Amino acid sequence: MKNRPHGSRCRYYLSSLTALACLACPLPAPAQAPAQAPDGSWPALQAAYFPGKKLEPAPFIRLTAPSRAASGDQVPFAFSIDHPMTEKQYIKSVAVFVDGNPVPLTAVFHLTPDSGKAEIATRIRLESDSPVHVVAESNDGRFYVNAVMVKASGGCSGPATGDEEAARAGAGKMKLALDTPFKRGDLNKATLLIRHPMSTGMQRDLATHGFRPAYFIDRIAVTYNGKPVLTADTNIGISENPSIQFGFLADKPGALQILVHDSEGATFRQAMDLGG
Amino acid sequence: MRRLICTIGLLFAAAASACAAPLPLEQVAPGVYVHIGQHKDFEDGYDGDIANIGFVVGSQSVAVIDTGGSYAVGLRLKEALRAITRLPVRYVINTHGHPDHVFGNAAFAGAEFVGHARLPEALSLRGDAYLRNLKQQLGAAAEGSRLIAPGITVRERQTLDLGGRTLLLTAWPKAHTDNDLTVLDTASGTLWTGDLLFIERTPSIDGDAEGWLAAMDGLGDMPAAMTVPGHGPVTRDKKGALARQRNYLATLLRDVRSSIRRGAGMTETMETAAASERPHWQLFDAVNRRNVNLVYPRLEWE
Repeated sequence: MKNRPHGSRCRYYLSSLTALACLACPLPAPAQAPAQAPDGSWPALQAAYFPGKKLEPAPFIRLTAPSRAASGDQVPFAFSIDHPMTEKQYIKSVAVFVDGNPVPLTAVFHLTPDSGKAEIATRIRLESDSPVHVVAESNDGRFYVNAVMVKASGGCSGPATGDEEAARAGAGKMKLALDTPFKRGDLNKATLLIRHPMSTGMQRDLATHGFRPAYFIDRIAVTYNGKPVLTADTNIGISENPSIQFGFLADKPGALQILVHDSEGATFRQAMDLGG
Repeated sequence: MRRLICTIGLLFAAAASACAAPLPLEQVAPGVYVHIGQHKDFEDGYDGDIANIGFVVGSQSVAVIDTGGSYAVGLRLKEALRAITRLPVRYVINTHGHPDHVFGNAAFAGAEFVGHARLPEALSLRGDAYLRNLKQQLGAAAEGSRLIAPGITVRERQTLDLGGRTLLLTAWPKAHTDNDLTVLDTASGTLWTGDLLFIERTPSIDGDAEGWLAAMDGLGDMPAAMTVPGHGPVTRDKKGALARQRNYLATLLRDVRSSIRRGAGMTETMETAAASERPHWQLFDAVNRRNVNLVYPRLEWE
């Protein structure tokens, strides 16, 4: 911009943009905005993803994360929501945002009453110290929010580990295991590990002197006896070789089936027979 | 004369960077000088001066071995060196690419930089992030710090001649990092291990723990009257120091594997793994957690 002669016009555009933006602001004046912005970009994210929605503060969304993560690459993160999971009343989706990441929306977990409990444990990337916001939507259209501050760095642009070719060749291999012996008619928990580089598009590639292209799992669908128990829309904020712990109700013996889809259109399957 | 100029310069704060206060040194063998870094964590009071750095003086030239965690620390090392010898600094050897060992390189610009064959790659992959972190950690004290990649790289072994004094460099397979290099001063039998050996400070893994244990077997076989670890005091008891480090790494691996087998998650394992080693090490909680964070996701695929 400094080479352009019309600096004053630029300022004019900028100020009119600011004015336009403020028309959309619920706040009376921009001067007051910094006072309520300890969590940085969250107001903008909320406005973008939940326009016009009221997000109710929800301490019953319990979050587990290190206040200071040991690594930005693999930050253990879990939510557990104390909310009924019945046909009449349940949490139907949970969105996880890392406000400070280049791609803040990390994952959306779609749940059903057959999920048993709105509870997921996984590992996420943090590029810098950031709040992590979790927004839960119930089937009756209410939105709940809670957040936790995590200190960490380098998770998105840090070096990819290992060789890209090898990572691609091994992509899609899975490990699936129940955390405790099968409980018929009860909530069971399983942990799914998936081999995948989850390349962010921001990792340097020495061979090309550019960046490794983004290459990540974008959907994980889990069914038990054909009924959905978890569908996760995932993005680059989920760590390399994703680990996802989830719950499901098992009314009778059956098959737990996993279908994974990645950003290049590949699909991978895994299944486990339970209680037989 | 130079000292006089510096003294005058120090009176004017603006000139302080040109003649920094010299780092304290120990002469651990004839012509071998070490500055012992302090045990501070990267996330708590980090000042760029935590690694052991120093130099070896030959009859014709000097080799600096690691340069500290900032340009300012590098300058202070250079100041201390100049109080001891006027010989030219011909080589700067980096034992690996970690920021606490290499960010002082710029203070010795003009020398020939020497490192492991994989060091240039490691620096280009991580350099941006290292510099960003350094500025965050040190603020204005990071000024002038930059990475200088080696012009001389070592694949297996190489010798450097300082005039009547030969340094034997050995490049190791993936261990503490994937670019570890050791330096043996054959004249005095002093072995600089870089971060292949930690004393007192909890060993931190950024490469491969199994590979590191294997490299330690090799280190144990090297003849050394005196050993300069990457962190902690200089020792004549290399065997004992290696045994203590082996205990930590082996315990960590055993405990993490056992956690994975019984289904304990990574967060829980960060609190429990290698707990029996806690009394023996400094900065244990911070470093051990990072180690579990690195090792656990790999071992769960075994």
